[in-house]
Amino acid sequence: MTIPPIIELKSIGKSFPGVRALDAVSISVQRGELHAICGENGAGKSTLMKILSGVITDYEGQLSIDGANIRFAGTAEAEQAGISIIHQELNLVEQLSVAANVFLGRELKLFNSIRDDRAMNRSAASLLQGLECDIAPQTLAGSLRIGDQQLVEIAKALSLQSRILIMDEPTSALTESEVARLYRVIAKLLSQGTTILYISHKMDEVFRLADRITVLRDGRFIATRDKQETDAIEITRLMVGRELSSYVAVPRVASDECVLEVRSLSLGWPGHARGYRLKDISFKLYRGEILGIAGLMGAGRTELLECIFGAATQPPSGEVYLEGEKIVSRNPSEACRAGIALVTEDRKRLGLFPEMSVGKNISVCSLNQMLHGFLISQRREREGSQSMVNKLHVKTASLRSGITALSGGNQQKCILGRWLLTRPKVLLLDDPTRGIDVGAKAELYGLIQSLCQDGLSVILTSSEMPELLALCDRILVLNEGRQTAIFNRAEATQPLIMEAAARG
Amino acid sequence: MHNFYPWFHARANEIALIVAILVVVLVTIFADSSQSYLQDPATSAEDILRNAAMLAIFALGASVVIIAGGIDLSAGSMIAFSGTTIACTMLGIQSLGTLEAPVAPWKVVTGGISAGLFAGFLVGTLHAWLITSVGLPPFVATLATLVGLRSLARVMGETVTQALLTGKKSQIPIEQPFFTDFLRQRVDLWIYTAIGLAIFTFILLGYTVLGRHLYALGGNEQAARLSGLRTERLKWFAYVFGAMTASLASIFYLANEGVSAPVTQARGHELNAIAAAVVGGCSLKGGVGTVAGTLLGALFLRVVIDAVAKIIKSGADVWEGLIVGVVVVLAVTFSQLRTARGYGRSLFGGALGLCAIAILSVVAGTVIGIQWGSSYGLMAGILMALLFSGVRWFENRSRVSI
Repeated sequence: MTIPPIIELKSIGKSFPGVRALDAVSISVQRGELHAICGENGAGKSTLMKILSGVITDYEGQLSIDGANIRFAGTAEAEQAGISIIHQELNLVEQLSVAANVFLGRELKLFNSIRDDRAMNRSAASLLQGLECDIAPQTLAGSLRIGDQQLVEIAKALSLQSRILIMDEPTSALTESEVARLYRVIAKLLSQGTTILYISHKMDEVFRLADRITVLRDGRFIATRDKQETDAIEITRLMVGRELSSYVAVPRVASDECVLEVRSLSLGWPGHARGYRLKDISFKLYRGEILGIAGLMGAGRTELLECIFGAATQPPSGEVYLEGEKIVSRNPSEACRAGIALVTEDRKRLGLFPEMSVGKNISVCSLNQMLHGFLISQRREREGSQSMVNKLHVKTASLRSGITALSGGNQQKCILGRWLLTRPKVLLLDDPTRGIDVGAKAELYGLIQSLCQDGLSVILTSSEMPELLALCDRILVLNEGRQTAIFNRAEATQPLIMEAAARG
Repeated sequence: MHNFYPWFHARANEIALIVAILVVVLVTIFADSSQSYLQDPATSAEDILRNAAMLAIFALGASVVIIAGGIDLSAGSMIAFSGTTIACTMLGIQSLGTLEAPVAPWKVVTGGISAGLFAGFLVGTLHAWLITSVGLPPFVATLATLVGLRSLARVMGETVTQALLTGKKSQIPIEQPFFTDFLRQRVDLWIYTAIGLAIFTFILLGYTVLGRHLYALGGNEQAARLSGLRTERLKWFAYVFGAMTASLASIFYLANEGVSAPVTQARGHELNAIAAAVVGGCSLKGGVGTVAGTLLGALFLRVVIDAVAKIIKSGADVWEGLIVGVVVVLAVTFSQLRTARGYGRSLFGGALGLCAIAILSVVAGTVIGIQWGSSYGLMAGILMALLFSGVRWFENRSRVSI
């Protein structure tokens, strides 16, 4: 007798108004395996996971758990069936303690009436210890780092005794050491017999962790492969639907014209033991150059860009020269007028105007150049936005479409276009490819390259080291707010950068 | 006729409001036993339009603040404060003249109105300072002025009357013919003022950089700041605009009531303005709203209030609060049902739904019972309970069938 697969999906389909999100997707997941689900943004991964976790109850096709047909009427039923999901955007109540979050909705009680905080703290602590995480259960969830918050979610899943754990891009915001810890936790869960569905874009981690890999594209099932019989190139090809020429850096003529110079920039951190967020940062940026900023989470990458852009939480000390002239940007609008642009890290929270159309999102920074008298010239605005849509190959039905209807990569291009319209001299890109699928990434790399060939100077941060190594002319390494090294392209290697970023 | 749908879709809220206004007027024509709409259409229209214009003036201010992502709770108090400022200033200027050589009335009126508008400018600036520099949430900052301005107005009124008139009074009668005769009779001026302000706001919001930036600010403040928008200036403009429209409205309140009354004038009317904006499609989250919607929202509110007054034939002001409350809930519920947000929501599900059925039925029964006698009230209550229970039953059934 064969054991039925723990999860069996048979021709699952789901339509949203105007979109066929899933179409005839069939997947079977074996007990105790780590099954990776790969696909570009918009491939239908999230919809599928929402069906599995009982968020979406209205779909076509059949879902069976342990061989029995089942249809969840809500998330509570999915939890009862032993399915837990760890969303990319974590779902913790930040004002409650870790233990309270772990037992939220299922609080332990004394005599069935009084909340038993001590018992909850005790069992939360033991769950967390099992996950190599020594945070006190009384800590407020909101004060934890993202990596620790994620472990709290895993602890919550464990306390539910989940047999099936769905992880949606869990490493997207983690440092290298947190990733390593997560891998150990995953190995431990697998050894205890938990089945894991793992959603990710990142080929290296998929191949490191997964037993089998399923690829979705445009809402359709493409293939399921054993890890042994495939490789990253094939999976990428399946995801994108075309051969992806691996990224090749175009050699550029180095200019020795200094565009931006930062001299001993420091940013304080009142109330923190270290006392500073950034200390004594000095570098030069040449015309047409891409300068990469490497560093672990919390090293001060974002803060450095914010200081240059005048968006820091408090005024930094030190000097910034733009084309030889000293500039003091007390706020972003001054930096903007000086010719500096910043594409922020968190697109949704810090970049998009969700209620506005694609065209208005692109034009919002440069409306003053589009005036007719004192009114906005509709024609000039349309021409300006359209020029960026064409130049950056934004895929949109029209300029009037809502910005939220676009995929992540296209939204990012719109924001890039917004800044290019202001004709900046220096472009600051804070992790511009975060949460963007493979195809769109390659396109963005090409765009950044060609912008630099036209004489724009770029400072780029990234959480992915290969990205920095491929794109940047020089890489500056930050380590807990201090500048520990600047490498030229020729001498930079991943181990060297890691060493400089983690040096004690 | 190509692409009619997007046009219609973008204006669905305004079109729905126009239909709703017409329906309410039609219902009133048939339900009003004294047939005042048919007997004397001019007076009825004048009455509604005068009130709607008065509301629309500061509702436009409220909607600009709401679009910019804020809220101004102080409009009603601002009207009272500005009204008192105008009255006091006029008394002051008059006292400069003598019986033989009085100050020219136009000087008195211009001085008073300028002082009122200037007071609005100052209060708006104060709001902006409290919100941007001190860092108070808009709700708290304008709540403070909501309570503060009224008592400040009272103190000001009492001090000035004690000094210039016979005794200490907080209410100051308005004796200038400009207010008591001219403005009071020329209702067309009220409407022109409202329309003029609406056109100004329309151009401002739709066709200027400032307006676009206000929408951006309300849509995502962080992104606006990081896009180099001067968010503090934008907020300053929005709150000054909000307070100054209240000052403008106060001129018509003075004309309407013939007195400046710090304690009672326009009390609670800030909520009518916010209601008009919300009914007109502004989102309290910011970044969404239109001038046409706000105008229609104000008109709709006044039409409904007038309709109830005509049908019930008791003082409209008694019912005003209840009507505004019900209208806001219904309008926002319907507009949510129309969009995807309301999809699949059940209104009367669970224990909370049962309680709501009981509460709504009792309230409806009581209101109708008070108005038309207890047997009607009982019947209406039972009818409402049955109706809502039916909805609940239907919702539960359709939920299971999915």
